[in-house]
Amino acid sequence: MILRHSIAAIVPLVTLAGSLAPQSPPADLARERSDYAQWLATAPNSPLAAVAQQPIGPGIRLGPADADVPLAGVAEHRVAERGGAVMLEGPDGARPLPVGRPVALGEFFLTSAGPPDRRVVTIFGRKRDAKGAEYYRYNRGLVFTGPMAPPERPAKVRVLALDGVETEALEAGTVSVPISGKIARLRVRRIPTGVEDESELEIYFRDATNGEGTYPAGRFVPLLPLPDGRYRLDFNRARNPFCAYSSAFPCPAPWRGNTVEAKVEAGERYLGGGLRAPPAGLNPR
Amino acid sequence: MRALALMVLALAGGAVSAVRGSPEGPWRAALDVAGGELRFGLRLERQGSRLAGQLCNGDKCAPFSSVVQRDDSVVFELSDYAATITARLKGDSLSGAYRNVGNRGPRVIPFRAARGTWPSAPGPERLLGRWDATWIGDFGTSPRVIELRNGTAGLEGTIISNTGDYGHFAGTANGDSFAIAHFDGSYVYLLTGVLDGGGGAPDTLRGIFHAGLRTQTPWMAVRSTGRPHLKAVTENTRADTTGPFRFAFPDLEGRLVTERDARFRGKVVVVDVFGTWCPTCHDAAPELVRLHRKYHDRGLEIVGLAYEVSGDTAVDRRQVRRYREKFDIPFTLLLAGINDTEAAAATLPQLQGFTSFPTTIFLGRDGKVRRIHAGFYGPATGAQHAKQVRAWEAEVERLLTEPGA
Repeated sequence: MILRHSIAAIVPLVTLAGSLAPQSPPADLARERSDYAQWLATAPNSPLAAVAQQPIGPGIRLGPADADVPLAGVAEHRVAERGGAVMLEGPDGARPLPVGRPVALGEFFLTSAGPPDRRVVTIFGRKRDAKGAEYYRYNRGLVFTGPMAPPERPAKVRVLALDGVETEALEAGTVSVPISGKIARLRVRRIPTGVEDESELEIYFRDATNGEGTYPAGRFVPLLPLPDGRYRLDFNRARNPFCAYSSAFPCPAPWRGNTVEAKVEAGERYLGGGLRAPPAGLNPR
Repeated sequence: MRALALMVLALAGGAVSAVRGSPEGPWRAALDVAGGELRFGLRLERQGSRLAGQLCNGDKCAPFSSVVQRDDSVVFELSDYAATITARLKGDSLSGAYRNVGNRGPRVIPFRAARGTWPSAPGPERLLGRWDATWIGDFGTSPRVIELRNGTAGLEGTIISNTGDYGHFAGTANGDSFAIAHFDGSYVYLLTGVLDGGGGAPDTLRGIFHAGLRTQTPWMAVRSTGRPHLKAVTENTRADTTGPFRFAFPDLEGRLVTERDARFRGKVVVVDVFGTWCPTCHDAAPELVRLHRKYHDRGLEIVGLAYEVSGDTAVDRRQVRRYREKFDIPFTLLLAGINDTEAAAATLPQLQGFTSFPTTIFLGRDGKVRRIHAGFYGPATGAQHAKQVRAWEAEVERLLTEPGA
């Protein structure tokens, strides 16, 4: 296959020289960040409020001190997957936990996520860390536009998404990005968002800032489809996995080979408080 | 192919006169999804001191749970789906965002609207009918059926998958190109396509299916040959049929209702397991109302079992009451999620078997389960819907003629 060896370079949108002047993010990114900040601060399922995340498996008990997930002031409840529906059952009755919809239980909120038969429940409390998200100064030189090359081997692959939920992703392809004189070749995976028929093209990448300003395990950045069939990779949109906010979330293992050798000083910074990087020696997927 | 999404349809329909500073009247609204414009309509009117609004796909409209204006800010709420549209009113335009709670961050899509209605443009005959479509994913393909027809508000149709339909789509055609959309506060879908035919080759449609803010799936379709293109829906028949189907839940006034209640005795009963949070359940409700009107005098009863999500009885009751008003439901609705103290362990004996919302359970006059139907083909699916309606009616007719228990 010729494609395997060809480098379909994605090119900088502007010259790097342009990045020297102080820049503020474009309006759409500024809006996205402000929506995200508000979501972190107020959403019932904000990762800053997470208490625990557990696969539902044959069912989990919530509430009492000896339960799978002890929850203060909550009578014994059970979360079980019944066919395609996740149900929360307790002394007051049964309620569905529709995927992606936070459901109140006493002082807590529950959400379910993940594919059928492998659903995961996440429990959120009222208390949340005051810290939200902080970003590097907007860097126009780290916005790239270009094609995506097909994947070496089309395949489905089980990965942990940004929120620590195991998801069936698709190898979507690779993009080649010239940064600091080198070409970084990054794999792109299509990851379902949890809403029916919706998915995002995501790149989980590591770079020289990891552990020194950014989250040690790496960050996610979406690849944005453009109307002309090309794609935009804007490192200013790089986001922390939720394990950076709370150790309630498992941390996605780095994707093999997805490393930028240079410093990618753009996007979200790490403020501490999360799970440390995956244990050394963990085999990257 | 993706350039299709850039297709711009000529705007027509001028601004209508309106009270300055008031959002009353019709609006042509759009969500700006990546690479496309998802069109829908808003209709706002003043009811006493309050604003009331409807969200429309073509001429199919559903009410907002509330519309609140404060100075130049207007907030449209869709409480069933925990979603809002917030917008600033500036002259004859509204701009803001549609939002609902996502799992990995807020689900936010830019929203805008101008006064007036979208132009209605029917599609040419060559676009209409049933198309066997193939969604072309990054890895593998999957079958869909696209149905296109002309309605009173221009081109309309739907998409059907192996597991059900995507609801009613409305839009316009422009020559051999078309764009139809469905937005209900939860699902955000835009289908664009163009006919690639002539020269003796069989007609082919190609286009992009947009879901949410930025999922774009290319597709192609050929005219349906009549041979099955989708997998037949397997009906869930796992049910305990040895004894009567039992339930015991409070109604919206708090009275406990069970299957032994006089209103169900010796009747054919259809049990609708639903939730106000489930869009497909909203599609099924009018059909159940129609069944009830047609067969109630001959001995059909319907009972809706609402599985709500708030965990707060007062909130659940309000949601279900609103649902009852929205569809003018004449039959009994029970808050099924709530156990009454008098009926401990009152979960459904057949709960193990049900896999989706809605699930429709047909009981004979002896109270035993005869048939369970998971999911629902909405009215937008045309032939599929008609087939399902016929099957349900046949089932009810058959059960009505069974000897009483």
